[in-house]
Amino acid sequence: MKYKILIIICVILTVLGAVGSILVLNSPPKTEVNIISDGKVIRSLDLSAQEDVEFTVTYKGKSNVVEVRDGKIRVKEADCPDKTCVKTGWLSSSAMPIVCLPNRLVIEFNDNESEVDAVAW
Amino acid sequence: MRGNLRRLTELSLLTAAALIIFIIELQIPSPFVIPGIKLGLSNIITVYAVYRYRAFEAFSVLIVRILLGSIFSGNLTALIYSLTGGLLCFLGMLVFKRFIDERHLWISSVFGAVLHNTGQIAAALLLLQTPQILMYYPFLLLAGCLSGAFTGLCAQIIVNRIDIRKSDS
Repeated sequence: MKYKILIIICVILTVLGAVGSILVLNSPPKTEVNIISDGKVIRSLDLSAQEDVEFTVTYKGKSNVVEVRDGKIRVKEADCPDKTCVKTGWLSSSAMPIVCLPNRLVIEFNDNESEVDAVAW
Repeated sequence: MRGNLRRLTELSLLTAAALIIFIIELQIPSPFVIPGIKLGLSNIITVYAVYRYRAFEAFSVLIVRILLGSIFSGNLTALIYSLTGGLLCFLGMLVFKRFIDERHLWISSVFGAVLHNTGQIAAALLLLQTPQILMYYPFLLLAGCLSGAFTGLCAQIIVNRIDIRKSDS
């Protein structure tokens, strides 16, 4: 009996995870993007109005090359060991920010567009 | 003293086995882009050690595996995530061990895996200071349940095959 309850809890956790994943994946794409280095927003861009560009973000001597093309953004090159950020590819949903843990870099859609101090650069 | 030596040898073997599994698993490319989602096969050994050894012994197996694993893989930044996740998982499993017996140990492995991923998310939240990381959590929850069940079932098979009375003699 005790084990039945525990197994049911396991199943509930799994279902919660699955439902949550689906919800997060289906959240609508946004165009405001924040580039966050070491917890601070260093740059905000509006992808729909942004021209194609490439720039480098450095943190403690480590660098990631960020590319914006056709209204999409990605990390093109990185000198971190695992290259997870590069493999993530183009930023497609707010569920999947581009994260480079070794270089403390996060590129994500801005969830709260009204809060943005639109940084033109 | 002889018993101690025997136990030490067993623990060293377990640690070595966990390390080998860990290193081999690193070589398998992950189909997922989310860091932190993997099978965590070396936790088969952790689960086994938690159930078959004293808390401190299982703890040393886990810690040595995490430290050496991150040194061997050259990914020291991942160490802090592995440590918080591993410790939370370990403490949780010690509690579950009290009311989940060996024949159902895969259940506590599932809970352990969920705790492990919770710890990782918490560490990432603290380090990166970006609450959006929480968006990962559903994926990690799902992955934790599935991989926890898998590693738990593997540990279950090992426990069923190795008779504690024989190895204690």
